[in-house]
Amino acid sequence: MLPLSLLKTAQNHPMLVELKNGETYNGHLVSCDNWMNINLREVICTSRDGDKFWRMPECYIRGSTIKYLRIPDEIIDMVKEEVVSKGRGRGGAQQNKQQGKGRGGTGRGLFGGRGRGMTGPGRGQQQQQQQQQDKKPGKPQGIKNQH
Amino acid sequence: MNYVPGTSSLIEDIDKKHLVLLRDGRTLIGYLRSIDQFANLVFHQTVERIHVGKKFGDIPRGIFIVRGENVVLLGEIDVDRPCDTVLQQVSIEEILEEQRLEQQAKQETEKVKMQVLKDRGLSIPKADNLDEY
Repeated sequence: MLPLSLLKTAQNHPMLVELKNGETYNGHLVSCDNWMNINLREVICTSRDGDKFWRMPECYIRGSTIKYLRIPDEIIDMVKEEVVSKGRGRGGAQQNKQQGKGRGGTGRGLFGGRGRGMTGPGRGQQQQQQQQQDKKPGKPQGIKNQH
Repeated sequence: MNYVPGTSSLIEDIDKKHLVLLRDGRTLIGYLRSIDQFANLVFHQTVERIHVGKKFGDIPRGIFIVRGENVVLLGEIDVDRPCDTVLQQVSIEEILEEQRLEQQAKQETEKVKMQVLKDRGLSIPKADNLDEY
């Protein structure tokens, strides 16, 4: 999980953003982009020395001015759940495919059968499979897993 | 030793305990969970460690996403190695108080220095905005 994906996961959660100049912004993350530009809602801004405070309904922070972000501990658990649920979805099919191949003959039929027509995972498939192996860069990994 | 370019060399450091020094002088210690091509870092179970003289204190801070530009150094901490240090761990309150005193003393000497320079007709810009890089 990349740092910016984690930030995306933290949307709608409270967080603390410290800028390079030492000011901190406490608020709920509304949105963020690939440059770490962020939108916050219900913000409390604290000055560098922590002696002055400002409240604002929303604010936009340019990513390049950020020093760090502190996010709540729950987000890590959410990431774990997301990875699990995604594993059952589209991304997971590919994962299973690789795993299936790694296990050898048994798991192959389920997802590995895709793209090879209606034929099952019989012995006759081996040559065809070999061709497919050559095309797919992911395959060597599957082999490695076997040992 | 095999060398890989850029931040990819940090991949093998993931999930290990690390210390990171930021450009503002702060030290964070936590488990490195994630990195990207900009060396943005994610830390888990982070503590901020404050050193004053031979004392230090840890303040729990949770999860950090550190923007890569602000990192000075990152180093793995060997958790198995017994630490033989002369440093003494103190409570959060104590270290904060020590830090406050240290900063106060620093400001005093700075003031004296400025005055001496001023008397000689010199001036140096205030180091106030040092970390507004």
